[in-house]
Amino acid sequence: MNYDFSEKEFNLFIDIQEKVSRVAESVQLDRKDPKRSRENIKQVLEQLAQTPYLQLGLQPVEGYQGQLSLMGAAEVLAAVSPSAYLSVEASTRLFGRAVNEWGDNSQKAKWLSPLLEGQLIGALALSEETLNIENDPLTTKGDRQGESVVINGAKQYVINAPIADWIAVAGFCDDAYALFLIEKETPGLTVEPAIETLGYEGTPISRIHLDNCSIPAEQIIFPPAKAEMPQTLRMWENQMLLGASLGLSKTAFESARDHAKTHRSGGKPIIAYQEVGFKLADMLTLFQTSQLLAYRTAWTAETNPKEAGELLLCAKVFCAESAETVCSEALKILGGNGYIIGNNAERAYRCAKYVQIAGTSTEIGRVKIGDAALGYRD
Amino acid sequence: MDFAFTKEQLMFKKEIIRFAKKEIVPRVQEYDLKEAFDFESFRKLGDFGILGLHFPEEYGGSGADVVTTVMAGEALGEAGVDGGLTLAYGAHSFLCADTILRHASEEQRKKYLPKLISGEWIGCMGLTEPDAGSDVASMKTIAEKKGDKYVLNGSKIFITNGPIADVSVVYAKTDPSQRHAGISAFIVEKGTKGFAAGAPLIKMGVRTSQTSELFFNNCEIPAENLLGKEGEGFNMSLQTVEWDRSALLAPFVGAARYMLSSCADYARKREQFGRPIGKFQAVKHKLANIRIFAEAAQSLAYKIAWCKDQGRPLNHLEAAVAKLFVGDWSMVPANDAMVVFGGYGFCHEYNMERIFRDSRLAPIGGGTSDIQKMIISKLI
Repeated sequence: MNYDFSEKEFNLFIDIQEKVSRVAESVQLDRKDPKRSRENIKQVLEQLAQTPYLQLGLQPVEGYQGQLSLMGAAEVLAAVSPSAYLSVEASTRLFGRAVNEWGDNSQKAKWLSPLLEGQLIGALALSEETLNIENDPLTTKGDRQGESVVINGAKQYVINAPIADWIAVAGFCDDAYALFLIEKETPGLTVEPAIETLGYEGTPISRIHLDNCSIPAEQIIFPPAKAEMPQTLRMWENQMLLGASLGLSKTAFESARDHAKTHRSGGKPIIAYQEVGFKLADMLTLFQTSQLLAYRTAWTAETNPKEAGELLLCAKVFCAESAETVCSEALKILGGNGYIIGNNAERAYRCAKYVQIAGTSTEIGRVKIGDAALGYRD
Repeated sequence: MDFAFTKEQLMFKKEIIRFAKKEIVPRVQEYDLKEAFDFESFRKLGDFGILGLHFPEEYGGSGADVVTTVMAGEALGEAGVDGGLTLAYGAHSFLCADTILRHASEEQRKKYLPKLISGEWIGCMGLTEPDAGSDVASMKTIAEKKGDKYVLNGSKIFITNGPIADVSVVYAKTDPSQRHAGISAFIVEKGTKGFAAGAPLIKMGVRTSQTSELFFNNCEIPAENLLGKEGEGFNMSLQTVEWDRSALLAPFVGAARYMLSSCADYARKREQFGRPIGKFQAVKHKLANIRIFAEAAQSLAYKIAWCKDQGRPLNHLEAAVAKLFVGDWSMVPANDAMVVFGGYGFCHEYNMERIFRDSRLAPIGGGTSDIQKMIISKLI
């Protein structure tokens, strides 16, 4: 047992914070800016590529503990820029992880290497436009035509779609789950403009349509049947959102704490008032409890993945809901300052709703946790 | 980071659960209704080695680490042992016996610890007073040195095991002009002239634990019963906080796991509208809430334990966070579990109402949630 991150891990966290903060000082990573969003994310990826961050959880890196080190680093990145975090993770830990886990060597060479060098932006398209994958099968399909595969379908809420070099589209081919890797501007692929969102405005999210979109057969990845592709991809999304939740709690708590220690009222810092101090105590309690639960979940995913599923759902529900609570309380402490667009707490508050509804929603998460307790299985 | 328990720890936890389900749990409802202390179960805890887990073998203990000791508390809760017995165990082993282990003379250790560890004697700690709860430095109980004796005058309240204790670790002011620095700790034996316990208080929960006032009326004790030196008492009481934030929180984590399995069993069998109630999403949500609490709280308690095993000084911020979370949130699973059981949950037979009552102590005992918030807000 050991509850400490190593010095090496701490140094990585500091390095990430400094590198991404520098980018955030020069560009608006969390504002919607269709013309610059790709360039912004590329800048962040290039900075991260100078550290082991992009490799964590994908490849062994000496001195780091895969998913666990990643969770600590993710928290830092997600606190500096929620939008950059979501884009980086969708590219690396969804698209990249799929290639890493299920691709063959030539596919890894083609997509994974540039991805880890920060030169490629990826996206993963999972949610069908009209269907919920929790209850319904995927409808996107690829049909073989000679050496090619022709894909038809439509996907929604695809993170990075407007800026991605490649999109991995989940569907069926040859009666098996498949990921179709489609390069931007491939005929038949239509990427809609980024949708307007409550939070994560710096992360372009959009619908895509596939109308007789033809790709070479070597651009298909077939996960092994036992991998249960849709559930596994959801699990990866949930892991990504866990890090996002920690980052939101962290940035909101720190904003409120710093404000409470410096803003004076009645001749003393407002933290001296129990109404404020006690609120901060509740916020820190949720944040630190979230941290430990997320770290333990990441450790379990790294060391015993088969046991991680239920714990991940518990962590996802708790950390996501805690994030919204922490952010909401932060806004109360910040008073009028918190209501002004652009501060960390209000930005985090708007983003916090997303982490509850994305991936496995907290409602569905609870159903699944309950099913596990009851011994009910799908 | 590494959150793994050893194989031995996990096996030991299973053994405790098996032992407690067979030897203790069948008696819980009866004693809770009687509001009586279950001496037989307490002795069984001693016989099984639980009362002395972390104590050195030379005194009859097992020399276990803190993590293993905390695990025992979780296991008792998970087996379905009531909060009264686990509280009595905590007050006995961690607040009384551990203070003797750390601060008493070798002669005193040999005199008291083997009997406390076996369960032959029961221990308690007298700290809280009617006008000195969280503000411990305001205590009014005085210990005046007269020759080779100390004379104690004053009273204590809310003392777990007070009416049944053979040995008490009592805090009193040896220098009333000082606040914290004037507090000292003493061993007081049952039957000492001038020392008496009040009648057991009637409580909402943890009813099998016996809680009372302690009275000191010109109570003379030998000077060698001073633990450590004069003025060191406050720091001694602080050392018990490490146990309070780990081993005494663990039974609440275990109780949540007990509620989860009880509710799942019930929800699979109980049918309404032609199907088991477990098929309804609202019931699943409640089971999820219970599981989420258990998973979230678990790491907090074990982190405090692990830090103690590393010999680190207590991180008061983390300790307060652990207490605040377990305290405030433990009512969520307790309430949800009662709701899953419906009308039966309101009845004693199904145990949920007892756990609900027992859980209400979590945000009160050992430092209220508000006090934890005060500590946290000062430390950040």
